[in-house]
Amino acid sequence: MTLFAFRGVKSHGWTFYDPINIMSKFFIKLIFITALIIPMVFLCAVPSSAQDDEEDYEAVLELGQKVYEVRCALCHGVKGDGKGIVGVIRRAEKIGRVIETHARDLTLGLFRFRTTPTGCLPDDEDLMNIISRGILISFMPSHEKLPLVEREALVEYVKFFSGRWEEEDPCDPIEVRKPDWVGSRVSVDKGEEVYRAMKCGECHGYEGKGDGPKSNDIFDDWGKRIVPFNFATGELKRGSSAENIYFTFTTGLDGTGMPSYEDSLEEEDRWHLVSYTLKLMNKLN
Amino acid sequence: MYQRFYTALLIVSSVALFIFTLMAGYREITPDYKSYKSEYRDLFRSKATGEFMKKKAESIDFSVQQVYLGKLNRIDRCINCHLGVENPLMEDAEVPFKMHSGNYLETHPVAEFGCTVCHYGQGRATNAEDAHGTDRETHWDWPILPLKYIDSACAQCHDQEMLAENGADRVLRGEKQFVEKGCRGCHKVNGIGGVLGKALDGIGTQPRAYFPMRYVQGDKTAYTWLKEHFDDPRSIVPESEMRIVLLKDEDADLLTTYILTIRADEMPRDYRRIRTGTQEVPGGEELYKMYCIACHTTGKYSVYDEIFKRTIPAIMNPTFLRVADDNQLRRFIEDGRANTQMTDWKEDAAGLTDDEIGRIVEFLAKSRPAKRGKLFGRSIFDGDTARGRDIYETRCALCHGEDGMGGKNRLGISLVTPVVKEADPEFLLQTVRDGREGTPMIPFGSSGINLSDQDILDVVGYVRTIKPTASPKE
Repeated sequence: MTLFAFRGVKSHGWTFYDPINIMSKFFIKLIFITALIIPMVFLCAVPSSAQDDEEDYEAVLELGQKVYEVRCALCHGVKGDGKGIVGVIRRAEKIGRVIETHARDLTLGLFRFRTTPTGCLPDDEDLMNIISRGILISFMPSHEKLPLVEREALVEYVKFFSGRWEEEDPCDPIEVRKPDWVGSRVSVDKGEEVYRAMKCGECHGYEGKGDGPKSNDIFDDWGKRIVPFNFATGELKRGSSAENIYFTFTTGLDGTGMPSYEDSLEEEDRWHLVSYTLKLMNKLN
Repeated sequence: MYQRFYTALLIVSSVALFIFTLMAGYREITPDYKSYKSEYRDLFRSKATGEFMKKKAESIDFSVQQVYLGKLNRIDRCINCHLGVENPLMEDAEVPFKMHSGNYLETHPVAEFGCTVCHYGQGRATNAEDAHGTDRETHWDWPILPLKYIDSACAQCHDQEMLAENGADRVLRGEKQFVEKGCRGCHKVNGIGGVLGKALDGIGTQPRAYFPMRYVQGDKTAYTWLKEHFDDPRSIVPESEMRIVLLKDEDADLLTTYILTIRADEMPRDYRRIRTGTQEVPGGEELYKMYCIACHTTGKYSVYDEIFKRTIPAIMNPTFLRVADDNQLRRFIEDGRANTQMTDWKEDAAGLTDDEIGRIVEFLAKSRPAKRGKLFGRSIFDGDTARGRDIYETRCALCHGEDGMGGKNRLGISLVTPVVKEADPEFLLQTVRDGREGTPMIPFGSSGINLSDQDILDVVGYVRTIKPTASPKE
């Protein structure tokens, strides 16, 4: 970019710039560049015909299908019903418990890791996030190395499996503003009170080890047995930052026993709960 | 002025010192055991009926008594408080005067055996606190052994069959746990066993300083350490890689009892009653339990393990056994898999003899299906490795990793190991074509992904050329 390239006067090994000269040249350049860009933007924004759109979408779906069938169908099934040939995957936890992991059935259009309110579809960015980053703990690999076009095509193709995407639009994502006091001692104590008051321990265990009295009979919407998160493992599937934990409380994990607390807890209390969770996960010093 | 002050100070301190001396003297002439002795005498008097017994009650010696055991290198003074252990009148008295339970003292008289040889504790001590040495802050090496672990002491002299016949079968049951939970898969005893854990030789005679007591909840003693460590290894040693074998509470006690019998010392010959009968030769199934079961469990399914941070393969699934003949299985066991927790098991590494490995192989081979897989019909690898690489990166790298090392959060196992490199072509080609039942390794041939034979040949050709990266990726 030539916008910031200016010629100075060299003398005694130093380069001297004349500020007034630079300012004036800068603005002249800026005016020229803007004059070039504006018509280009207008050119691009000219609406293309509906038929072109249709054809583009078909092409994207086709690419998505190709990538999906090579990379995803092994586990999620060709029809997206989670019945790929890989089948059940077993994982032995440190505490000796063996968890059975099943590939997600995409036909219901239910997704856990969203930034949108509970009951809503995830937005494209959420899907892209999961495809790119993977859910390593559940053996969903990262596809970051795929070209962006292919990943975008995958997002479109994943939406193709469920009729929900035709009937509803994704809601707006929830905004997150992390307060400064998250993780402070006072906040952790308040979070612990919330944890007791909301009876989180009944599933997650009174010490957060995922071994609460109800932990043994929880099933997800697909009828598979699931286990509540053991905070002591320190790693959440969606990522372990404060914001991610906040999303879990606010959006809920649709399809599982984890509800959204958007209506039942004040925003401040949810952040206190984030502090306490971080403490249970050993992420605070 | 000052003189009066110093005089007063001198008088006060002299009085204090005098009182202190008196108290020390009083303590010295009235030790704990003397009060026990007088209490015991009163009890004995009240219970004694015959002339002889009454006389015996009167003749109790109030000085320190001790049993000197030259051969055992012990001096036991326990009988100064535990006065009634050999007195039948004290059958329903309270501890410490109670008679010893059972008929053990008939065959093990106190005068010949003392007490600490079975019960541990400090024999020379003259007060209960030091003799028992069980407090939470104890520093004695030999805290008294709780009765639930007492069977472990019998095994010093007696063989377990004899103990089992006489009702002391807790050691035998503990050993059963030791074998069936596969402890030797990681721990060596007498030079035989895996190398991942500490060798257990002499663990029953280790002083308590050997055990890191920081996180122990109960008494800081070796047996409490062992018991709590079985319940949750990582609550006692946070960085431990030991598997939780999901013992019931009672089983953990049994296992502790057995572990305490693995001692470094030996009883003098006169005391030993160990019959050296013919030892039973363990069969293949027993050996599998002993050395393999802790990681491979039933061997029917592969499991990703959070402690080892890699997938543990299913070694008893039919598709694996169909392609791996006995020689191949033997090689897997003997040489292990480089850079994984599967270390080599041959005699100079883990102490398994050729014969024993043979019996394990024989046991595994029992699950082999009668029908062999369709032959691939290649005896050399002549695939196009460049083409193989492309296929590997789209098809295989998702699970095995681009480096082929498997590892953390990957379903595939490590392919970068001499075992794969030197394996029989038929073994590798059929594995890729037919997959592995019970594991995420799906068939890539016509029954699954439908890769052509040439594709499989190419990809296997490439896999064999992958070089190990510097360190296995976590």
